Amino acid sequence: MELNDGNLQTLTEYLQKTLIPDPAVRRPAEKFLESVEGNQNYPILLLTVLEKSQDEVIRVCAAVTFKNYIKRNWRIVEDEPNKISDPDRTAIKANIVNLMLTSPEQIQKQLSDAISIIGREDFPQKWPDLLTEMVTRFQSGDFHIINGVLRTAHSLFKRYRHEFKSNELWSEIKLVLDTFAQPLTELFKATIDLCQTHATDVNALKVLFSSLTLISKLFYSLNFQDLPEFFEDNMETWMTNFHNLLTLDNKLLQTDDEEEAGLLELLKSQICDNAALYAQKYDEEFQPYLPRFVTAIWNLLVTTGQEVKYDLLVSNAIQFLASVCERPHYKHLFEDQNVLTSICEKVIVPNMEFRSADEEAFEDNAEEYIIRDLEGSDIDTRRRAACDLVRGLCKFFEGPVTGIFSGYVNSMLTEYAKNPGVNWKHKDAAIYLVTSLASKAQTQKHGITQANELVNLCEFFVNHILVDLKSPNVNEFPVLKADAIKYVMTFRSQLPKEQLLEAVPLLVAHLQTESIVQHTYAAHSLERLFTMRGANNATLITPAEMAPFTEQLLNNLFKALAIPGSSENEYIMKAIMRSFSLLQDAIVPYIPTLIGQLTHKLLLVSKNPSKPHFNHYLFESLCLSIRITCKANRDTVGSFEEALFPVFTEILQNDVQEFVPYVFQVMSLLLEIHTSSIPSSYMALFPHLLQPALWERTGNIPPLVRLLQAYLEKGATTIASTAADKIPGLLGVFQKLIASKANDHQGFYLLNSIVEQMPPDSITQYRKQIFILLFQRLQSSKTTKFVKSFLVFINLYCVKYGAIALQEIFDGIQPKMFGMVVEKIIIPEVQKVSGQVEKKICAVGITKILTECPAMMDTEYTKLWTPLLQALIGLFELPEDDSIPDDEHFIDIEDTPGYQTAFSQLAFAGKKEHDPIGDAVNNPKILLAQSLHKLSTACPGRVPSMLSTSLPAEALQFLQGYLQAATVQLV
Amino acid sequence: MPTENLCDKRMSKFKNKGKEPTKMRDRRIAECVELRKAHKVESIMKRRNISSVGDEEPLSPCENTDNKQVISETIQEIVANVNGDCPEKQRQGCQAARKLLSRERNPPLKEIIEAGLLTRFVEFLGRNDDPTLQFEAAWSLTNVASGTSWHTQQVVEHGAVPAFIALLASPMLNISEQAVWALGNIAGDGPSYRDGLIDCGVIPALLARLTPDAPVGYLRNLTWTLSNLCRNKNPFPRFSAVQQMLPSIIQLLHHSDKSILSDACWAISYLTDGPNERIDVVIKTGILPRLVELLGFEELTVVTPALRSIGNIVSGSDLQTQAAIDAGVLSALPQLMRHPKSSVQKEAAWAVSNIAAGPCQQIQQLITCGLLAPLVDLLRNGDFKTQREAVWAVTNYTSGGTVDQVVHLVKCGALEAILNLLQAKDTKTVLVILDAINNVFLAAEKLGEVDKLCLLVEEVGGLDRIEFLQNHENNAIYRAAQALIEKYFSEDGDDQCLTTEATDSNFVFGASDLQKRFDF
Repeated sequence: MELNDGNLQTLTEYLQKTLIPDPAVRRPAEKFLESVEGNQNYPILLLTVLEKSQDEVIRVCAAVTFKNYIKRNWRIVEDEPNKISDPDRTAIKANIVNLMLTSPEQIQKQLSDAISIIGREDFPQKWPDLLTEMVTRFQSGDFHIINGVLRTAHSLFKRYRHEFKSNELWSEIKLVLDTFAQPLTELFKATIDLCQTHATDVNALKVLFSSLTLISKLFYSLNFQDLPEFFEDNMETWMTNFHNLLTLDNKLLQTDDEEEAGLLELLKSQICDNAALYAQKYDEEFQPYLPRFVTAIWNLLVTTGQEVKYDLLVSNAIQFLASVCERPHYKHLFEDQNVLTSICEKVIVPNMEFRSADEEAFEDNAEEYIIRDLEGSDIDTRRRAACDLVRGLCKFFEGPVTGIFSGYVNSMLTEYAKNPGVNWKHKDAAIYLVTSLASKAQTQKHGITQANELVNLCEFFVNHILVDLKSPNVNEFPVLKADAIKYVMTFRSQLPKEQLLEAVPLLVAHLQTESIVQHTYAAHSLERLFTMRGANNATLITPAEMAPFTEQLLNNLFKALAIPGSSENEYIMKAIMRSFSLLQDAIVPYIPTLIGQLTHKLLLVSKNPSKPHFNHYLFESLCLSIRITCKANRDTVGSFEEALFPVFTEILQNDVQEFVPYVFQVMSLLLEIHTSSIPSSYMALFPHLLQPALWERTGNIPPLVRLLQAYLEKGATTIASTAADKIPGLLGVFQKLIASKANDHQGFYLLNSIVEQMPPDSITQYRKQIFILLFQRLQSSKTTKFVKSFLVFINLYCVKYGAIALQEIFDGIQPKMFGMVVEKIIIPEVQKVSGQVEKKICAVGITKILTECPAMMDTEYTKLWTPLLQALIGLFELPEDDSIPDDEHFIDIEDTPGYQTAFSQLAFAGKKEHDPIGDAVNNPKILLAQSLHKLSTACPGRVPSMLSTSLPAEALQFLQGYLQAATVQLV
Repeated sequence: MPTENLCDKRMSKFKNKGKEPTKMRDRRIAECVELRKAHKVESIMKRRNISSVGDEEPLSPCENTDNKQVISETIQEIVANVNGDCPEKQRQGCQAARKLLSRERNPPLKEIIEAGLLTRFVEFLGRNDDPTLQFEAAWSLTNVASGTSWHTQQVVEHGAVPAFIALLASPMLNISEQAVWALGNIAGDGPSYRDGLIDCGVIPALLARLTPDAPVGYLRNLTWTLSNLCRNKNPFPRFSAVQQMLPSIIQLLHHSDKSILSDACWAISYLTDGPNERIDVVIKTGILPRLVELLGFEELTVVTPALRSIGNIVSGSDLQTQAAIDAGVLSALPQLMRHPKSSVQKEAAWAVSNIAAGPCQQIQQLITCGLLAPLVDLLRNGDFKTQREAVWAVTNYTSGGTVDQVVHLVKCGALEAILNLLQAKDTKTVLVILDAINNVFLAAEKLGEVDKLCLLVEEVGGLDRIEFLQNHENNAIYRAAQALIEKYFSEDGDDQCLTTEATDSNFVFGASDLQKRFDF
């Protein structure tokens, strides 16, 4: 590609076309440009267009195209061709800085990005003169150019803030410091002088202040890794000026905008960050300056307004104080009672106030308000920063701070009492203050777990919280009501049970309030209270204690779902689920009505599922309704099917992806309740469950496997007789699952059910293939999880079909295969098997191999007999896994594995563990003793001799114990 | 600078199983770029002799001016005097040069060199007939050699080394002392001149002057020069040289003068700042109990190098660490961890971090000797550099300690303290903390107490901070944070192998090919 007018013209035309919205024109143009970008001179042509074109739009387009070209091609990847010719690289580096600096801002930003991409690869070794070229521009006196340089430098240097220390990195920083630090310092001083010269010229000031902000950012990057010698020597210059800038105000730079931070705020925020960096890392050197900064930042806080635009500055400034005040050697700066009082009064209290912005959010954007207030996504807010400062101060001054705040709380409450209608915000602040002062440790699950002992939480509850909850007009002062409800929730672990019980009916009443925040908080508080545990791990609040309020609770919860704005309120739905779970049998009379409402809700949300948590709890509530009702009376399962199947059919037919896994789980639950054979409605669905498309979604796999297991449990004979042609498809699912390391255990669940449930004849022809597949997987990628499942399966097979069948099928696949599996897999790996049922299956299977398989006695496999017996004894004597107690009630959504993934397991659709051996063998040790006895009588003398020659004494001792327990002897 | 480039090679041997040792602590990298000013507490590599002799007249104006012209005229006069044949003038010229070179500020080293005076000065060193001239020339050269490497190079290249070594034997103590000093400056320049001096037999010549009757001032200089002969790596001073010097250094370590003790300790710290064979040589002298005793001294100038030496030794093998423990280092450390100087706290924490990187028996001794409480104090209240070392100690401890030991550390408040430090503005520290948290979780897994630990981490605000780190710019941090969240505060994982054919309605069951032999 030559640099000529023709090519420039062509390029311009194609660039033009890339701006046309019609894809039919745009796409080919983009394709064309990409197809020619490998040619030499292409980037130079782009830069020429960028420089020379008369059309502003084309220039910007060329700049963007250039930047993207650089992004795609500049990096040289090892073993891949160099995508940009060396002459082009040299030419780009020679021209780009100048071009960037002389371009209008929009283009400048693109080129600046391109420079930093190039810089990331080439700087400093392959672009040695970049820095000097940039530094020279500082002298230009043109702040448009200077800001361009600063911006580029910022994008080049900002990685110093997060990369690990390395010699390479530090050499680069050293080089940068050597060329850049001094000129930057000069520029900093000169810029500050110019600010004085131009103190009345607003436009000049704006440019200068953006320079100062960039310079401050560069300072942060250059000082991040360690304190450079240069900056230590010049600390006086920098810190004095930073300090002055913090205290500076200029009417001209104040903005009218209430939301957007202005230049002054941005600069001061950065300076707070710089001071915090020095205070944290370069303590010793910064010590002389620190008190000045504390004072300046504190004054800044006292004089800064409540507008949103100051939020970042204020929260940075408070965070600075919070980090300094908990350092032991700065403690003296805060020690004085007057200082503490004034920090509390002028910094903390004002920033805890409920602002009009909060009020707006409370009324108009409840969801965001709740997320911020309840779930702690308030990292950058003033209230959060103020809370952190309270905690920081409490480290050394808990007593005095609590004392000061108690005074404030009292006076604010007095103010409120004088005229609640006007002064309600005072009480809000008082409650907030008490909360932040009292909370020392907190979790989602338990609320506050450690409280400041100097705060009397119960007294405050009785005197100030209960009053609001009891107020007959529930819709009055919604913010205070929400505060009161939140107080109950936050301090639930600290309040005595009687007080919680007193609060429960009041909370139930608040479910009906108009304010979304208020009734959401009520639902959430009840939900949290219902999860609390009392003695014996039972729920703290019992169904009996709830009896007087049950009807109203259920009514109000469902009514709350009808309040505008709360139709898919996850907190309410979760409270419904939790109430069902708590109340158990007590809800049965209400279910006929409630199931209709739930189904109706399900139908509505399935049109457009948008609230995953709401939907999850909805399905959980359905499961609970089914379980609780059918526990009392199995026959009611039909009525649930009648109510639910129409909606389920619709969900499956419309393939509502979010809901399909849930539907399979509920269906499994329903099918498992059936006692007689499988209903035909289920059989009709069977072929559809084998469709590969369904199995492609990972979220479907666990619930589908579970559902197929339920089909096999209830309908194996039906499948064998009426759907035998589907068996290969069913096994195909097994094969698909076994191929995946993530899902192989699911494949084994299915396979175990097939072997256990299907009539043997129906699968005879497939058995060998099944084992070959398992062996292939074992050969190609043997993982512990796979081996564990494999061991359980072959032992289950042995239990079901006998040890001889197992040995014959293995040896039929490959001679000596059985011995290899025993030696290489069973003996070394069987101890890894976990789970009581799994261990029992293995124990019974191995016992059969030992005692019912002639090949183990009479062939070369005989040498494996004693090691296998030893492995079995090892399996017995390993400490058993404790079975998990049945406290499903407490399972929280966060606790259920895999919620984050596509599969959403329903805790209340849970399946009881299945034991295929069951009561047939109660004690596998006794079974072993009896089986050995039987074997020894069949071939007298051989068993004792094998034992005495090679079984270790310890194992032998255990074995003798089993024999004694079974009262048998070996002969 | 040993503390900055901490790299524990023991890591690779028995700790952090399965982890890249380089990912852990990078100590003792051969060369290391520094951004900071040289450490103020370190001993000085080169020293200029600016002490004015008692009977000196006050400095004339020309000797105290920065005026280039005045200096240049003075130098011209010196050149004329020195190059002449008159002994009186030579002495005068030499003295004038020495005075210029002994000015507190901006001595004209370069100007003197460029005036071509060094040849003559070196020549004068051999003038046994004129001790005054010898002394003035030796002093001048000492001060030139105290400059930059280039300055030192000029002195060496003019053949000063053999002349100075010869002067060590001078009967005039002040001349011999000046030679000791000059040689110290040359040795301090770096490994190559150091070895050059050793090749020229400097060590026996120096040791010959180490006599009971030598005055303290002389011994101070001698000790300092010896320490410079032990200094620097790449390469280290050769073993035979070390063996030659060690007995005398050990002897000096029992002196009562603080300055001698300090430099002798620095010598030990240089000798121990190397591979384990080097550390072994020092341990075999039996000096450990004395080093531990010196840890208890008041003077920072003694405590600092003694602590550095101990720190180096406990970064050696398990046996070497054990030798230090047996010498009682663990009872000296708590006091140093609470030392008013943060630099001492930092070095003490560094030593603890290295002991914590040992086997669980040594970790147990940390517990028994009560080091955990001061360690947690440092995590909470130390300055940042100290906190960083203390964090390493926690990570090493949790990766090598038994479950019980980890539980004990958590109970002492270390977990809460490191969780607080997740806000540190230092990427590596954050990563090291995440590693420690992971270790604690592994211990909790073994106890089946993961849920309890999750609650604890959340209670103290750690979960918020770990979640926040998922947005970190640094990939390693964000991945480590995400891994913790995924593993302990939620769940998942995925991988594929064999393939299964499928139609629209079914998967096709059956093994793909006739398999080659199975062999597991």
